[in-house]
Amino acid sequence: MKCVILAAGEGKRMHPLTYTRPKVMLPVGNKPILEWNLLNAINAGIKEFIFVVSYKSEMVRNYFENGEKWDVKIEYLNQGQPLGTGHAIGITEKFVDNFIVLCGDTIFGSEDIKNIAKKQNSIGLVEIENPQEYGIVKLKENNVVEIYEKMTEPFSNTINAGIYHFNKSIFSYIKKTQKSPRGEYEITDSINMMAANTKINGVSLKQWRDVVYPWHLLDANEEILKKINKKMDGTVEKNTSIKGKIIIGKNTTIMNGAYIEGPVVIGENCKIGPNCYIRPYTSIGNNCHIGNACEIKNSIIMDNSNIPHQNYIGDSVIGQNCNLGSGCKVANLRLNKKNIKAILNGKKIDTKRRKLGTVIGDDVQTGVNSMLNTGSMIGNNVFIGPGALTKGEIQPNSKIM
Amino acid sequence: MCGIIGYNGFRDANKVLIDGLKRLEYRGYDSSGISVIDKKQQIFKEVGEIKELEKNLPDFKGSIGVSHTRWSTHGAVTKANAHPHLSTNKKIAVVHNGIIENFQKLRENLTKKGYKFLSNTDSEVLAHLIEDNYKGNLQKAIFNALKKVEGYYAIVVTSTDEPDKIVGARKDSPLVVGVGDNENFLASDITAFLKYTNRVIYLEDKELCVITKKDITIYDENYKTVDKEINLIDWDISDAEKSGFAHFMLKEIYDQPDTVNNVLRGRVSEVDQYIEFAEKVEKELKPDLDSIHIIACGTSFYSGLVAKYMIEKIADIPVSVELSSEYRYFGTKKENSLVIAITQSGETLDTLAALKEAKNSGCQTLAITNVIGSTVTRLADAYILTQSGPEIGVAATKTFTSQIIILFLVALKLAIKKGTITSDELYNYILNVKELPKQIRQVLEKSDEIEKIAETLKHAHSVFFIGRGINYPIALEGALKLKEISYIHAEGFAAGELKHGPFALLTKETPVIAIATKDFTYDKILANIGEVKARGPQVIAIADETDTEIEKHADFVLRYPTNQTILTSIPITVTLQLLAYHVANLRGCSIDKPRNLAKSVTVE
Repeated sequence: MKCVILAAGEGKRMHPLTYTRPKVMLPVGNKPILEWNLLNAINAGIKEFIFVVSYKSEMVRNYFENGEKWDVKIEYLNQGQPLGTGHAIGITEKFVDNFIVLCGDTIFGSEDIKNIAKKQNSIGLVEIENPQEYGIVKLKENNVVEIYEKMTEPFSNTINAGIYHFNKSIFSYIKKTQKSPRGEYEITDSINMMAANTKINGVSLKQWRDVVYPWHLLDANEEILKKINKKMDGTVEKNTSIKGKIIIGKNTTIMNGAYIEGPVVIGENCKIGPNCYIRPYTSIGNNCHIGNACEIKNSIIMDNSNIPHQNYIGDSVIGQNCNLGSGCKVANLRLNKKNIKAILNGKKIDTKRRKLGTVIGDDVQTGVNSMLNTGSMIGNNVFIGPGALTKGEIQPNSKIM
Repeated sequence: MCGIIGYNGFRDANKVLIDGLKRLEYRGYDSSGISVIDKKQQIFKEVGEIKELEKNLPDFKGSIGVSHTRWSTHGAVTKANAHPHLSTNKKIAVVHNGIIENFQKLRENLTKKGYKFLSNTDSEVLAHLIEDNYKGNLQKAIFNALKKVEGYYAIVVTSTDEPDKIVGARKDSPLVVGVGDNENFLASDITAFLKYTNRVIYLEDKELCVITKKDITIYDENYKTVDKEINLIDWDISDAEKSGFAHFMLKEIYDQPDTVNNVLRGRVSEVDQYIEFAEKVEKELKPDLDSIHIIACGTSFYSGLVAKYMIEKIADIPVSVELSSEYRYFGTKKENSLVIAITQSGETLDTLAALKEAKNSGCQTLAITNVIGSTVTRLADAYILTQSGPEIGVAATKTFTSQIIILFLVALKLAIKKGTITSDELYNYILNVKELPKQIRQVLEKSDEIEKIAETLKHAHSVFFIGRGINYPIALEGALKLKEISYIHAEGFAAGELKHGPFALLTKETPVIAIATKDFTYDKILANIGEVKARGPQVIAIADETDTEIEKHADFVLRYPTNQTILTSIPITVTLQLLAYHVANLRGCSIDKPRNLAKSVTVE
């Protein structure tokens, strides 16, 4: 059975991180979201994949190539325009018979993928607390009757999780599908048409992690790090303390005086320490340097970035090739302890988190003693001068003095 | 310039091909066509914009096909002349961008063999020629057919005998391969398929390429397969229409080495030392003309002024240059004089009206335009095309230099007929004019240096341009470019005229751009620069690359490559175009669409 993974989306709500990468390539636990899905699908017994790509497709292609590294076959189809999920699945018609589809930017568990694969014409369902932003599913004896998109007052907490099992018949419904008000062909419209004629099974999922906004990466990261096993490939010097589960990549050195509380993942060729404190649920990419008197907690640091001298980073996501100046610190808690609000694409959003530091795009430099306030969304290639204070949203290529 | 696309994949070919044509519309659109293989060649053509084609397009089923948007050079704008062209057996479809120079001969031979021609384009020859060479392998047939062809081409071909492949080939016209997943593309420009893939292979001259849904095979000129590198494009679609340039104007400035080549191609031969125009044009260029009147507006008027210097100097015929709107009512219309109308669009109302007046008074008329089939080409007794491709930026750039070079060739032709030029002089002119594309490239390489100087101009309220002789109209054009896109007040003056009035306006804050060429007025222009400096402004000199004296006089110097004075006007123009562009860009102006201006002015 082939597995189609939808990986074309740009993920505008993931700015500033998606200015420079497609949403599915965002890393959690040092692997792109898409790789977690690939691994879980492989665990579920799937060997042939079609990735539907478009936005910055070369990054997906360069990372996964033809799938040899995972001992599977990966083919690519370029969607061309962002015309919606219905269109994306529609272009696979000539390449599939009986197949499963999953949205590449939501992490699905392997057991759930297996269950979906077993059941013809099925949809994955999940119950969540705030279903307003999703497709609410109306059921009759576990069969899907209709999916309602984005209701303000939902009648149920059961939503469409974004994983499907179809056969060829779906394509006739996709061809009949009209553009939705937002100008896309929605697969849910096709499914609704199909539900009128055919039985569609609802399959409840055990595991489901959707990432919409940048701070959701921290939740996904935490979930993934909870399950890691200890693996030490690097060098650990004397007088270091390592507690809990921790993964250390090749050629990485943990230097004297480092105190690491797992779960923590550290990539290859990193220099950690001396004298630093890394706290739980932290992922550090390849070629990073965490220097003296730095503390990092519940954060994602991507490849080639340096947190070199006297820095504090908490509940933050830091892109690739960033360098923090000496003494640059992140605030992650409001003094009045209220929820942190962030501004993203000009819109103010309640993150529903009491603790959130900053989200920094790629190639950002900060000056000495600069301060990054709670919820700062800093674009790629931004230059933050010495002693500067950031807040709100900072556009790419800006200079803050 | 035309646009071509071939698609072989899994999508609906109709959609991909039409979509691609729309992206290539900037390459010209007077007619277009598409063919999709569904057992037989399904073909549809239409005159007008691509949306006309799309509107009436039948619902062809198939996922392999070719399409074409035409900007005519040979043959009128009709459905029959639109591409694709089919072979006599209706199996082979060809789209072509370029010119087949020996098409008459090929056509006669093929007609004798019984092939049936349906259009009067040069391109149709290719379809029949490929059929004639077909022995069961399409790429081999095309390879053999192209050996018999003179001229330049990019072609994309399909055949119902081998419905799984598309073959492309190029020589001197662009063709790139788009590498997709279970689909592949061939097109004049990356833009056509950038939506679907950003991986491309650039074909070299005389290479031939076969694409199936999954594979790409490329043959060199000896029919050996070659491995080519796949390049990754990181532009987005809006950049790509401008070939990665920030503005159409900048792209068009950078087009100039090619557009100048296009003007010279087929008209000038250094081997035989001749200048050749179409028969009708040659008939108008009579050696015994009493006088020539050039009528034009705006930038075209300045190219007329440049031509005045050229024609009077080389061919010794008196030339008057008049604004169309003035000539129409007040011009002198004498018999035995030739009226040359210059208009990029061929639709400029003032020029058309003036041309009608001239015709009614019994003058012979010749038009120089960029658009085939435009009103002026039907009105004038004869016309010459600048073949620069569509110009989208409102500020004329590449069409200005093309007009000048055409008029230079007109001057040479008249001189040859009149006998006012020796064969040595002619040979020198021909060699030097052929240097121009290279020299324009040298100027383009200095763009960064020019941008630095633009920094010093960006806050100016007023800028003067001065020059002598042929450089006077170039100064006028330089000033026009600056004012129309950067909104800085700018004036061009004959250098000797400053002291007769304009000096009153000169302050420390008025930068002066002085064009200094190393001819017999060089000392005079140095003196003029001295006069200017005495009043305090900064002087930016545009000077010959061998000029060592000029630094002592000017604050900044921009260099152009050495050539005959009459031809240095081209690299100097390009320098001034870049200068105006950078100033406007630094000021954040809307460069491709300046306020209050339209590309083609069809009102009085």
